[in-house]
Amino acid sequence: MPSLRSIRGRIKSVKNTRQITKAMEMVASAKMRKAQMRVRDTRPYAEKILELMGRLSAIESHRPNIFFKVKPVTTIGIILVSTDRGLCGPINANLFRQVNRFMADRPGVRFEFVIIGKKGQDFVRRSGLKGVGFISGVKDRGQIEEILPATQVAIEEFQEGRWDEVWVFYTEFVSTLSQKPKNEKLLPIGPEVVEGRARGASPFLGEYLYEPDTTEILDVLIPRYFESVVFQRVMENFASEYSARMMAMRNATSNAKEVIYQMTLIYNKLRQAGITREISEIASGADAVS
Amino acid sequence: MAFMLTLVSQERELISEEVDFVKAKGVDGEFGVLTGHSPFISLLDPGELVVRKGAALYSYYVSGGVAEVLPKSVIILANTVERADEIDEQLARRARENAEEALKRPISEIERRTYLLELKRESVRLSIVARRRSSRHPGQVTEE
Repeated sequence: MPSLRSIRGRIKSVKNTRQITKAMEMVASAKMRKAQMRVRDTRPYAEKILELMGRLSAIESHRPNIFFKVKPVTTIGIILVSTDRGLCGPINANLFRQVNRFMADRPGVRFEFVIIGKKGQDFVRRSGLKGVGFISGVKDRGQIEEILPATQVAIEEFQEGRWDEVWVFYTEFVSTLSQKPKNEKLLPIGPEVVEGRARGASPFLGEYLYEPDTTEILDVLIPRYFESVVFQRVMENFASEYSARMMAMRNATSNAKEVIYQMTLIYNKLRQAGITREISEIASGADAVS
Repeated sequence: MAFMLTLVSQERELISEEVDFVKAKGVDGEFGVLTGHSPFISLLDPGELVVRKGAALYSYYVSGGVAEVLPKSVIILANTVERADEIDEQLARRARENAEEALKRPISEIERRTYLLELKRESVRLSIVARRRSSRHPGQVTEE
């Protein structure tokens, strides 16, 4: 039988926890609103540049440009977008499970990682996988410059032929209640890269005039495409992180409430039992005296 | 006859609607687009983007990017965009002076190029502001 004092102590500590989770929930929900707006603002650019790359890939696939050339795959580079902090529900675990499944589906292929976020770093290290680049501390209102170290490594690996494909793994923000782990192939740019991702893309199969010329335009456009899509996915991941954290903290808060209720019940019962026992002791003592 | 114009930057979508005319600054010079233009793709220099819709003219500062022109649509993927009335004149003027000062000092070739670009950007910004002021209607720009 626990003592009254120890239960009182535990109620107090759970109340403290509840206060913390409540505060975290509110912080996450404020950040979530901003991150959602940012997702909405950054989506059009990524979508439009995907559409454009789609149209270009249809025309350019026959030209000797490495970024449009589909090669036999021996090494896949994965840009893993994860969170820096924990306490955000299952989104990282779900994402890592998807990475594992992805790798299991492709036996005989080597995988190398460029990681954004500390949790991804932990995962790659724990699983004994090979990471070639790692950045953390990207800000949720950050500029695209912050992720360039990661994308540049990836582009270089691809350009120099060490990677045959580049994929990005991140958690898509569907709604406040739902976040989905997702993977997308970014390089080489083939028709399937764009399919189903650029809504309402008008197909164009003619020839363009290029100003100044094809090579120069592609030299500018391809890194921009790659960077801006990854950047958008990072922003998407932030919205998912905050939503997941808010939900996780909301659950934790209501769990704490439930625990406090149950413990208060036990506490009151014990207290009442104690009082009853004391009264009966006094009464029987009084009987003995008289 | 109108066509669909989409003007997006990394940060936000500024225009997604039917317009009548667009003028932008490509790396090989300015170009104007009306409906039915033959398809082309051009890199953009820092410069002004003018959009005409009906009788109204709108002006934007674009820091560079890519324009894709199709017969019935134009997509402009800008690095950064400012609406003419968002340009901070004081800030632009100070930045230009700063760049001019820096160019007088002995500096490395890379720095020199950075400042030259900066100078160009700020000059374009200021010329947009100036033209806006000389026109009678705010938000509207006079064609040269």
